[in-house]
Amino acid sequence: MFSRVLVANRGEIAVRINQTLVAMGISPVAVYSDADSCAPHVTTAEQAIALPGNSAEETYLDIPRIIQAAHDGQADAVHPGYGFLSENPDLARACHEAGLTFIGPGPESMEVLGDKVRSKEIAAVAGVPVVPSSPVCLPGDPVASEFVERWEFPLLVKAAAGGGGRGMRLVHQRQDLAAEMESASREAQSAFGDGRIFLERFISGPRHIEIQVLADSLGHTIHLGERECSIQRRHQKIIEESPSPALTTELRQRLGDAAVAVARQCGYVNAGTAEFLVDPQTDEFYFLEMNARLQVEHPVTEALAGLDMVEWQLRIACGEHLTIQQEDIQPRGHAIECRIYAEDPYHDFAPSTGALLRWRPPSGPGLRMDSGVIEGQEVTVYYDPMLAKLIAWAPDRETCLGRLEAALARFQALGVITNIPLLRSVVAHPQFRRGSYDTGFLEWNPAVTTPFAGEESRSLARALAAWAARQPDGSPSHVPLDSSGAYRGPWQTLGRQKFP
Amino acid sequence: MTQYQGDMRELYPVAGEPYHYRIEECEGSLTFSVDGENPAGDIPHLTLSIESTGGGEGLCRTESGRMLPFAWARVGTELHVWLDGYVYVFGTWQGRQRGSGGTDQGSENVVAPMPGGILEVLVREGERVERNQTVVIMESMKMELAITVPIDGIVRRLAVQPGQQVDRGMRLLDLAPERGAGEQQ
Repeated sequence: MFSRVLVANRGEIAVRINQTLVAMGISPVAVYSDADSCAPHVTTAEQAIALPGNSAEETYLDIPRIIQAAHDGQADAVHPGYGFLSENPDLARACHEAGLTFIGPGPESMEVLGDKVRSKEIAAVAGVPVVPSSPVCLPGDPVASEFVERWEFPLLVKAAAGGGGRGMRLVHQRQDLAAEMESASREAQSAFGDGRIFLERFISGPRHIEIQVLADSLGHTIHLGERECSIQRRHQKIIEESPSPALTTELRQRLGDAAVAVARQCGYVNAGTAEFLVDPQTDEFYFLEMNARLQVEHPVTEALAGLDMVEWQLRIACGEHLTIQQEDIQPRGHAIECRIYAEDPYHDFAPSTGALLRWRPPSGPGLRMDSGVIEGQEVTVYYDPMLAKLIAWAPDRETCLGRLEAALARFQALGVITNIPLLRSVVAHPQFRRGSYDTGFLEWNPAVTTPFAGEESRSLARALAAWAARQPDGSPSHVPLDSSGAYRGPWQTLGRQKFP
Repeated sequence: MTQYQGDMRELYPVAGEPYHYRIEECEGSLTFSVDGENPAGDIPHLTLSIESTGGGEGLCRTESGRMLPFAWARVGTELHVWLDGYVYVFGTWQGRQRGSGGTDQGSENVVAPMPGGILEVLVREGERVERNQTVVIMESMKMELAITVPIDGIVRRLAVQPGQQVDRGMRLLDLAPERGAGEQQ
């Protein structure tokens, strides 16, 4: 097994990977930007190496600097987490060239799967149905108009290098297409450094269901069941659960087989996730893409399967064989994950920044909190606004919903606006409770993105605010703030330090 | 018994009108009221008791006997309140001046809701714009953000150009309200 692993990421996922590394007796080595110098992913590591600068491009996305940091930290392997460089085959190659083990699939399968069009070709060869789409192009390319002639609006514009909903647009009318393609391409260029896009047929009212796959280097490939990811905003997931309330045993089996077939077809090794659109009316499904990395929502699967995905990623990367057989996987109970974002659910999900003056996550039976922030930390504009994930597990869905709702109601976060009230409204919504929802849930239920009407609460809040305004200071005493209210920790005031 | 008063305005989740409040405090029991001219003052006064050991948190009891935990934090002139799972933000200021955000009479600023880069400016100085029209496209946290205007008006002055980085609260443009649309505020 490795003795030191560099985690080329930040936030909750880096913290979570550090936890498994420490539990396995491996030393975690962190990297950090200026803004992250005192972040939890640094304090939970055994060694931390500075990547001076703040933008993602000059820090967590800079391959030569990541490789140098791995050498400086005497790491023998690199875990990329999710996002950032996790699906960049160049990092995997750079690791191999530098004599480091990359914890993830090989660069060849990453390359194929990272290209949304090629990955669909692979799926088709493996006998798995795919959604019709246009060739990859740039805005203004005539291949787009050929596709438009064949299929009816609405159509989806997607980024070729995309993921996480970035660079994705739903276009309802032909006259909006050119402008939306421009905008999507620009967003894709900024997020992934690749402005290529394509058009895709839009499946109405679908459920977004994905299958977790594990494969070892001998080709032994199993799946760990599904995650239902249909609650989304801006095409980005906010709530995930398993089992999916929409799947029959038979459909679950077919999806699992399809995911394993795609993974085998491209010689996939390590943890990966095959995403599908499922038409709940017909039980037809379409392969969307395969994510060649650990997913944000992997704790849902961990809760049901009773295993540690990161541990298996490390074992597989180390050349160990997968000792679990498909029939050993017997999912137990029900799990739901909520993603806590620093964003305003009532004003078009605008990201929110500032000092997290109060951060008191809940705890209790069946609750798991994967958090990348601590109280007093500055939430900056530089990175993804996801702060943490709250995962509830219970023997059945009803109990799980109750645990989650109660936990969200006592989750205190102040100083930065979060989406917690929205998550609460969704979890309490009768339609969500029944389990009959699709990817359009937020659009069909505008009430959940409208501020709650509780007049009594509002009047009470006004009275409490007036009272609190006279109190010495609402900020916790251990949070040092400068005159403008910005956080000034020792890391800022002492200047840049390099760890030995 | 202590009496005090002040001005506040709800900023979040719903932006409201400024109001003037009065509090009478007697042995941990508060009577809170809002001056009558305020259109949102549907509950004339409220009595509650508060227990707090400091640290930005406490417990309040309403007249009907409900016990609710709460927490607060001050962010510059804003007061953030967590109550029973919901968050409210209030603006506080000294004196009784209006807090409309306008720099001078009959002008409305459109400001950056968060720090980021200006991608596109979609209007020109002197151009007539309608309420909710997108005037600027910003990029922040790798996402595009469309900035709209709150009222009908005419763009008086543009304060930014594409490529520029802006901080939260920085002025993007000045808007002169259209005649007859000024009551929107």
